[in-house]
Amino acid sequence: MSGLWEVLTEHLPEFSSGFFVTFRLVAISFVIAMVVGTLVAAMRVAPVRWLNVVGGVYVEFFRNIPLLVLLIIAFAGLRRAGVPINGWVAGIGSLGLYTASYIAEALRSGVFAVGRGQIDAALSLGLSYPRTLRRIVLPQAFRTVIPALASLIIAMIKNSAIVGASIVALPDLLKESRQVQAETFQTNEVFFWAAVGYLVLTLTATLAFRYFESRFQIRR
Amino acid sequence: MTYLFDPANWEWVWTGNNLRFLAEGFAVNLEIALIGIFFSLIFGLLLALLRISRLRLISVSAGIWVDVWRNLPLIFIILYLALAVPTSWRQAYSDVVPDFFPEALQNELVLGALLALVLYNSAVLCEIMRSGILSLDRGQREAAASLGLSYTQQMRFVVLPQGLRRMVPATVSQLITLNKDTTLVSIIAIQEVVRHGSSLTSAGGFFGGVQAPILQVFVMIGVFFVIVNFALSRLSRRLEIRERKRTGTTLKRVEGLEDQVAAETDLAGPPR
Repeated sequence: MSGLWEVLTEHLPEFSSGFFVTFRLVAISFVIAMVVGTLVAAMRVAPVRWLNVVGGVYVEFFRNIPLLVLLIIAFAGLRRAGVPINGWVAGIGSLGLYTASYIAEALRSGVFAVGRGQIDAALSLGLSYPRTLRRIVLPQAFRTVIPALASLIIAMIKNSAIVGASIVALPDLLKESRQVQAETFQTNEVFFWAAVGYLVLTLTATLAFRYFESRFQIRR
Repeated sequence: MTYLFDPANWEWVWTGNNLRFLAEGFAVNLEIALIGIFFSLIFGLLLALLRISRLRLISVSAGIWVDVWRNLPLIFIILYLALAVPTSWRQAYSDVVPDFFPEALQNELVLGALLALVLYNSAVLCEIMRSGILSLDRGQREAAASLGLSYTQQMRFVVLPQGLRRMVPATVSQLITLNKDTTLVSIIAIQEVVRHGSSLTSAGGFFGGVQAPILQVFVMIGVFFVIVNFALSRLSRRLEIRERKRTGTTLKRVEGLEDQVAAETDLAGPPR
């Protein structure tokens, strides 16, 4: 396969800058998704009716809307409405809030997996509901949903490519690769290296989460 | 907020054929989704059967195939195939596509988009179906074999009906994801709802002369998707609860799938 290595070595700056843009996009969005997802999950299991409803509406809205449509609303739509939003904020915000809805659902199932008896015990010891959630329920819930979180971050790495391909047009791995393809016309070679980049990211995430899973396993 | 709910910014909905224009675009999405679902389910089942084959050569190569397509971004596959599908294939597609198909699907670029959707989703569905089949107790297969059923008969009458039934919720949530992913074909210039929305906004309301602001147009498109997908997920949950009551089977969680957690939690009931 002549030309395969040349494409990589000649266009290494483009590929590596794209790779790191994708990496940064995923890393920041994941933090946002975890924070918002935890809050929404807490709302959905709270003993307050209207909080459950708000959490439920959030989840159903962000889970059922296509990410591409969300990106157009967040970028072009809000700009048109006079909100000065840039590509990074729109991309990270959309990807983060979109994934947060899935994380909220995963955490909610983790909360249900924690025995009812534990919650009763904590409450009867005089802990308040938020405190029970923070000290007793969530630490266990996070551990049980580590495999689900792993597949969510992999889905997020894959979804991050939509940010570069949409009107937000962040110069991520896919965007940079298309640029290189437009210059060299070596479609197969360029897309091969882009695929390698994405597989490296997803594989690393898989291995990292497998490690976390064994590290934080609850031994019963 | 005042901008979002200002009635003047929603006037485009009621003027001319704007709403109908959007709905026509959305219909194209649903058609692409239906074609994609049909072929993904068939190829997904085929791949799953190859994946559990007793011949290691077949199962390993099917496994590599599935793992590669499953771990690549769908938009990446779409963009690649838009460039890489040979012209002769495209010609062949435009020759065989039936005339009653809508105009947007007559476009020869649709071939790449459909191929990409099927490649990606059949790989994901293969994993779902495989774990459903593997979750079945060994005894079922052994009992069937001891009754003298051939391999094909064991699969057809014992393993698949039970294994696939367990995976209905996971399959439906993957199909909802597929439905959302049909918007991605707008990036290779297929005239579906996102493209229709963009032309509404950029034409400055050419139907009826009213401004169609991009925020409101795409909120409307989002609402279309939320309604259809929400209805789908509710329907599958209904069916599933009924099915579970009838057969007493349990759900199986698949590793590597993000969408199905919701279906499980709602059955577990709230913690109090």
